[in-house]
Amino acid sequence: MTVAITASEGGMPHNKALAIGLIGAIICLYLTYVNAYLPQPLFSFFGGLAAVLALWWGTDTVKHLCSYGLGTGVPSAGMIALGSGVIAMLLGSKLSAMGFISTPLIIPIGTVIIAAILGIIIGFISDKIVNMNIPVLMVSLAELCMVGAIIIMGLTAMATGSFVFADLVSGSTTFFGIVMLDTTSSYLGGCVIAVVFMLGALGVQHAFNACLGPNESQDRTLMLAAECGFLSMITVSIISFAFVSFLSAILSFIISVIGWVYTYRKYFELSKRDAFMWLDAKPIREKEA
Amino acid sequence: MSALGGGSGGGEGMTPVGIVVGIILLIAALAAMYVISPGFAFTSLVLVIVGGLLIGFGVHFVPVGGAPAAMGQSPGIATGVTMLAAGAGLAGLFGGAWAAELGFGVALAGGAIGGGLMMAVTCLMVNVVYVWGMGVPAASGKVAKDPITGDTFEAYKSQGTEGHGLPFISYVGGVIGGCLGGLGGTLIYVELLGVYEEFLPISMGASAEAVLPIAVGIAGIIAVGMFLVNAVIAAYNITGTIEGPHDPKFKRFPRAIMGCAVASAICGLLAIIMAVM
Amino acid sequence: MEELLFGIGISAIAGALATVSGAAEDTESDIGSQGDPNSQVQLAPQMGYIHRIFSKAISGEPPAYGLWITLGAGLAWALMAINYNPVLAIILGSAIAVFVQGVYATTAYLGRTASLAKFEQPVYIDVIKSVTTVTMAHAFVAIFTCVTMCFLMVNALGHPFPLPLMGLVWGIALGAAGSATGNPFYGKERQYQSQKFGAGVPISASGNIVRYAEAGQRSSLDNGWFTSKLGGPASGVCFGLIVFLELWRTIFFEEFAGGWGAVIAGIILILIFMIVDRYIEVWARKTYGPYTEEKTEEAA
Repeated sequence: MTVAITASEGGMPHNKALAIGLIGAIICLYLTYVNAYLPQPLFSFFGGLAAVLALWWGTDTVKHLCSYGLGTGVPSAGMIALGSGVIAMLLGSKLSAMGFISTPLIIPIGTVIIAAILGIIIGFISDKIVNMNIPVLMVSLAELCMVGAIIIMGLTAMATGSFVFADLVSGSTTFFGIVMLDTTSSYLGGCVIAVVFMLGALGVQHAFNACLGPNESQDRTLMLAAECGFLSMITVSIISFAFVSFLSAILSFIISVIGWVYTYRKYFELSKRDAFMWLDAKPIREKEA
Repeated sequence: MSALGGGSGGGEGMTPVGIVVGIILLIAALAAMYVISPGFAFTSLVLVIVGGLLIGFGVHFVPVGGAPAAMGQSPGIATGVTMLAAGAGLAGLFGGAWAAELGFGVALAGGAIGGGLMMAVTCLMVNVVYVWGMGVPAASGKVAKDPITGDTFEAYKSQGTEGHGLPFISYVGGVIGGCLGGLGGTLIYVELLGVYEEFLPISMGASAEAVLPIAVGIAGIIAVGMFLVNAVIAAYNITGTIEGPHDPKFKRFPRAIMGCAVASAICGLLAIIMAVM
Repeated sequence: MEELLFGIGISAIAGALATVSGAAEDTESDIGSQGDPNSQVQLAPQMGYIHRIFSKAISGEPPAYGLWITLGAGLAWALMAINYNPVLAIILGSAIAVFVQGVYATTAYLGRTASLAKFEQPVYIDVIKSVTTVTMAHAFVAIFTCVTMCFLMVNALGHPFPLPLMGLVWGIALGAAGSATGNPFYGKERQYQSQKFGAGVPISASGNIVRYAEAGQRSSLDNGWFTSKLGGPASGVCFGLIVFLELWRTIFFEEFAGGWGAVIAGIILILIFMIVDRYIEVWARKTYGPYTEEKTEEAA
């Protein structure tokens, strides 16, 4: 006997969350490209903000999808989102090197389009071939694939200051004061993308998975999604010390900590608002008594 | 995985639209690959699809009971189907990647045995806990007799449950599932690694030696990603729990194979295009 | 020969680290009440049983440990890249990963419990204060040992995977092994301690978990004390055996028959485990006996 997944009705319409998340995240991704014109990659943290927006939107999608009952629990949605998203993101990051359009400005929008197509196909497979018969499945998996690709691209841009494939594979090590080219110390050569992958996979499902229940409320769930995003940003900003300048990494770190403290406190307040009672060191309240 | 939620179950069989569009997508992906780069990259894509099929098929063998199994209310391993399969498959991937330099056959066999060994140990310890921690013998809820050993189950079920423990058929199913998962994951990894080692030095303009860590990193993370996509599609097909190859739900596997083939074809196409173009 | 001895030594250390890691992982998840048994903690208030058990609903253990270990490994990798000492890097990486784990744990408890307001389940804020730190401590042991094990595999045994990818692979395997082995013991024997030993929990009893202790009210901390008697060690042995045998068969037998030796050794190991499992199953059937009169073939 298990608990039914229940979610609240009402609140912000899903399409509004989609629009804010998608457009905001793409704008943030483009802002990281300003790094190319700066002496230091100071705009890296915008990549993290793109990931936060994508998580925020993705959480609403997961909620929308999982209220139908997939039979496999909420976390699988995060896994399929990031599993397909990472492929779309890697292909997208190489778009500028393929000879069609040489400007890296194609990358963010191109990645989102590739992810949407891949997501629609996977959604079609789940809905029609595996025969799940869930009306929102196709659209939701397309959204989740886009969310996954944007999260990985955003956090990648935050860690390395760039989302261009050529920058992700070049690394250098300092050996007795001499800088040497070494691909093993690059972002993809060290497979740091695995960290970003798992941060996204857990982040995108955690907020709804943690808040589901009869008294789930949208603003609290979405606040938790933002909190997960900023928490992921903190860890990525620490990793970014290995790739970007000290000042940029510190800037990313400070912004993530501020964002995290704010959202975490806010989440506590909202939980206090929604909770039946807020007790400290009190015994079990028996209903009959 | 907290197996919350009832599960809609979905319809039986495949829809005609699904089959037709699925086959069209499959052929389109292969054709696109053939046009872009016939030869090595094309055979790799075919083998990547085979790898995806094996994963999707293998997931159906893994006996997973979900939340009720943790209370001894239903047989199987008390965890989520996607992640148990992923655990076994990735343990296999570890073995396969290690043996990759010893040749194609050894790598695949190493991956399969790695996954199978992981499941063999896990299922054994699960039974140890069931027998000596909880004091329950194995009893299947779906069939009256174990197809391998011929044990009867009806009399060994405790009151008010659908059976419990891990019957021998489920154990064998777990090992087969682990082997297939490890084999499929390793096949995807080895093929992608081959493609990246072949084409990335050209497109990046770097030496093969410098590209190797990149090729390993990208092939590894994409193999993990594709593994999870295929495992989740198979898990959607199972809708939650399955006892193993004797479970009636096992008969649903053709549509998961179809789904995994199409998903692997598209994912594999994108992953190979990345290196080839 | 020397290389072989070195390899065997590293396998032994990796196996030992994995054993500690598995045991700590399961104890941590039982204290926090994660994974499948948590569905009962979630269900109890609906059935009218208000409780003071932690509810760490962070997906299942495999994805959660996939993240903690990958994060620890990735942070350690990044710190080593800026020339930190490996030991310090692994410790710092694990510590930051544990911080993330702790934050996830608190938000999961608050989220699930606040969403149960309809069933009059209050949020006991002192539960967060007292239990989170204990789960974090156990998680640190699990993460640190597992990341160290991955580091040894990469740097001492020369596995081609980079450290973060290795962390992802073994993190998910750790969670899968630990949750599979440890969950039933916590779910049945601890949560339903009032039910008879030697039987599954009847479906009608779902949600009626034990909420009071010998004296006072059950705290999740006691769950760790209980499950570390069997569930934890069993998970540890499970993960330790997986890691040790996987490395041992490769290092010891890979020389033979162009790599096929390791495969044959693996097949033999699987067969041995299969025979042991069958023995245990038959032993249980004989010892515990049929619960009801068995219908004979003739009667049927």
